[in-house]
Parts: sequence; C-alpha cells; structure tokens
Amino acid sequence: MSEDVHALLGPYIVGAVSDEECADFEAHLATCSSCTEDVANLLEVTAVLGEAEAVAPPLSLRARVMDEIAVTAQVTPTATPIAATATVAPADATVTALADHPRRRRFTLIGVAAASLLVLAGVGIGIGSAVQDRQQQLAFEKDVMMVTSAPDAHAMDLELGSAHLVMSERMDAVVVMGDDAPMPHDGMEYQLWLVMDDGKAMPGPTFMPDDGSFMAMMHAGFDGVVAFAITEEPHGGSEAPTSDPIAVTEI
Amino acid sequence: MSSDRHLRAVDDSYHAPDGVTLGTSGTGEVITPRGLVRAANLDSLLTQAARGSGAAFEQIYDNISGAVYGTALRVVRDPQLAEDVAQEALVEVWRTAARFRPDAGSARAWILTIAHRRAVDRVRSEQAHTTRLRHHGKPDDKQAPTDNVVDTMFAEWEAARVRAGLAELTELQREAIILAYYKGYTHREVSEALDIPLGTAKARLRDGLMKLRDMWEVAR
Repeated sequence: MSEDVHALLGPYIVGAVSDEECADFEAHLATCSSCTEDVANLLEVTAVLGEAEAVAPPLSLRARVMDEIAVTAQVTPTATPIAATATVAPADATVTALADHPRRRRFTLIGVAAASLLVLAGVGIGIGSAVQDRQQQLAFEKDVMMVTSAPDAHAMDLELGSAHLVMSERMDAVVVMGDDAPMPHDGMEYQLWLVMDDGKAMPGPTFMPDDGSFMAMMHAGFDGVVAFAITEEPHGGSEAPTSDPIAVTEI
Repeated sequence: MSSDRHLRAVDDSYHAPDGVTLGTSGTGEVITPRGLVRAANLDSLLTQAARGSGAAFEQIYDNISGAVYGTALRVVRDPQLAEDVAQEALVEVWRTAARFRPDAGSARAWILTIAHRRAVDRVRSEQAHTTRLRHHGKPDDKQAPTDNVVDTMFAEWEAARVRAGLAELTELQREAIILAYYKGYTHREVSEALDIPLGTAKARLRDGLMKLRDMWEVAR
C-alpha cells in the first residue's frame, strides 16, 4: 500500500492522478519527508513547463479576476504542515497527519465528574449527515451564527484539517468548524474538551467529519478555561479523555 | 547555481551575454536566467496578498497571469475555456493565499500548480477519456508558436530551456510527461496510450521530472 502511494510521486506532480489518489498521496506526504522534499522541487520543474507557455491573456481577464476577488473572502492561515503546493483545489485536501504535528502541545487531560460541569449543552454534527431534521439543522446553524457573529467573537486556529474555533464569552459558547479533517479511527469519534487551569478536562460534544467537514458547538462558561482540546473517543464520547489530544488550542 | 550549466540547456540558436542577464523587459526590469528577482518578489507579494492586500495581488496578476493563462490554454486548447480556467485559478490563489508556505516551494510553482490542476480538471470533465484517447493517441509535441508573448525574453528563454530539456529525456519519459502535463492524461491513460505497464508509466514520469530538475537545478 505505502509502496503504491510512494509510486504516485511522478503522476501527482503532473496532475495525472484521480481525486482519490491525490488525497491518498497527500496523506502520505504528511508522513514522508523524502516525498515532501521531492514534491517541493519537482513542482518547480512543472512551473518551468508552465512558465514557458506564457502568452498574453485576453484583456477581459484582468477585470473579471479583480471583480471577483473584490467579493471573495480569503481563508485564514491553517496549521497545515505539508507543502502548501499540495493544498490546491478542487481536490483541496489539506491533509494533516495527526501523528506528525510539529506544533502539537502535550496536555495531560484529567477528567472530572460530569456532575461538576459548567457545561450546559453541546452538539456536534458532521455537516449534512448527522442532523437529518432540517428544522433542527437550521436552529443549529442559527445558534452557530449567533456565536460566530457575536461582538466579542474570537477566532483561533484549530489543528484538525483546516479548522478554526470561535468563542464568545458573551454567548457563553464555543464553536469548532473546519474542512479537510481526517476521519477518526474505526469506532471512534472526535470529542471537544475544555481544559481548565488545574488540568482538568470538561467533556464537550462529539462529532464526526462528513467528507472532511465538521461543526460542533458547546455552551459553557469560560471561567478558568485555559485551552480547548480534541481527542478521539469511543463512539458516544467519554466522561474523561481516554487518549492524548490530537489538537489543542490555548486561549 | 551554475549559469554555464543552465546555458548549456538552452537552445543553440539562443545566445546570452555571459549567462548573467539575458536582457531587460520593456519596463527595464533586469531578467536573470531563472527569473530569480521576479520569483523572490512573487513570494513576498503572495504573502502580502494573503493578508488581504489587493495591490499586492494586482502585481501578482501582472507577474504571472500570462503563465497561468498560457498553461490553461495549452491544456484546454480553447481560448474561452482557458480564460475561465485562468479566472478560477487566480481567484483561488487570492482565496487560499494564506495556505502558501514559502519554505515549501516558490509562489510561482504554487500558483502554476493550481492553474494546471484546474485546467486538467476541466479537460477531464469536458471530454470522455476514451474519446480523447482515440482522437489523440500518441502525443503531438508540435504546438503552433504563440504570438503575443508576455515578458518576451523570459518566456523565450524558458521555452528554449524546456525544448532543450525535453530533448534530453528518453522517448518514453518525454512522451509520458507530454501526455500527462500538457494533455491532462491520468497515469492509467498514459500507460494505455504508450502501451507500457502502469508501473512503468509512473516511473517514467518520475524519472523524467527528476532528470529535468537536475538539468535545470530548480531544487530549492
């Protein structure tokens, strides 16, 4: 398998791969520094091939592009560790190797009894799948919008695919959302945790990416909260973390 | 970098003084053989564009829209389609500029990779693969020379370098790269068109690219 993926280097550089192979290879890149280096300099080779084709574009192109970017929002920087050259759309798979995060912090998460929680409610969905009920989804999206558009909303990077986290003290809520998240291991789900200043972790909602996309919201007070963490937990979630966090965002 | 070695790769008919600069563009910008000044500039412009600078993006446009459009045109062939692809690619550059990592490659490579993938995707969605294979069959490297060359000296130098580089490859390496890069063939289609095993097709693509890299010393 990894032998096969390795052999996709040449085809990948010239775009001669299927979307699926592209995703496989980019996942491989996150764990293979030799391929990452080859990708970086072989894409300079294809850049020469492209540059040699340069011709004056139609004059209309400039206006079309400038008009469109004027109304196009930009993505925020993400913690993608692999060659940025590998993160292009439409197979826009920013594959992140959880095992290989250089900036990952180690937190020891200590569970607390559910009874002592400040947590009021949490809900997580894989966009478009887990919530079948359209009304319920609309209500969820409205809540998310209220949090993300709150005057004190504060966005932070979250190292799970291309993700970020928005917290609002005024709304007593935090929302995590993102794209390109890898699937958790079989039988596992992601779970959000609030990490307290004494190292204890308060459980939040569980969620599964749907085609890499996910969104989850948690209502909670933030007194004493120093970080947010994501772990993989058995289906249904845990009262206390059973594994090391795969992503940590400090406040 | 060894300029001697670079110049050897250039078409014999093309002579450059001492291999240091090949000339100046209309605006007087000095063009080095590898467009190094331009390239470094493009990296920093893209970083500025990532932070929302429209002015930086306009400079990026002026710098690379010719290559973006030309790459798209070479792959999709239809000027109208190529303009659509170029627009999509350049807007994507703006949208995702924050994902550019200067330590993982040049801005030029990052942008042209986006353009090429967009063009290939368009070709694949526009045409049934089987039809394409039947019609084109073996590669045809002869392409009508394009007029309206932007940044003439640089593009000519690059084109000469590409011709000379491709000529150094084995026939299989060259044909595999031409089918895949310029025509948007998948590696499976390459193996079919050239009647070679799939593993051989993949290996020839890799070998060919690495040979070009070593010839051009484009590694960063």
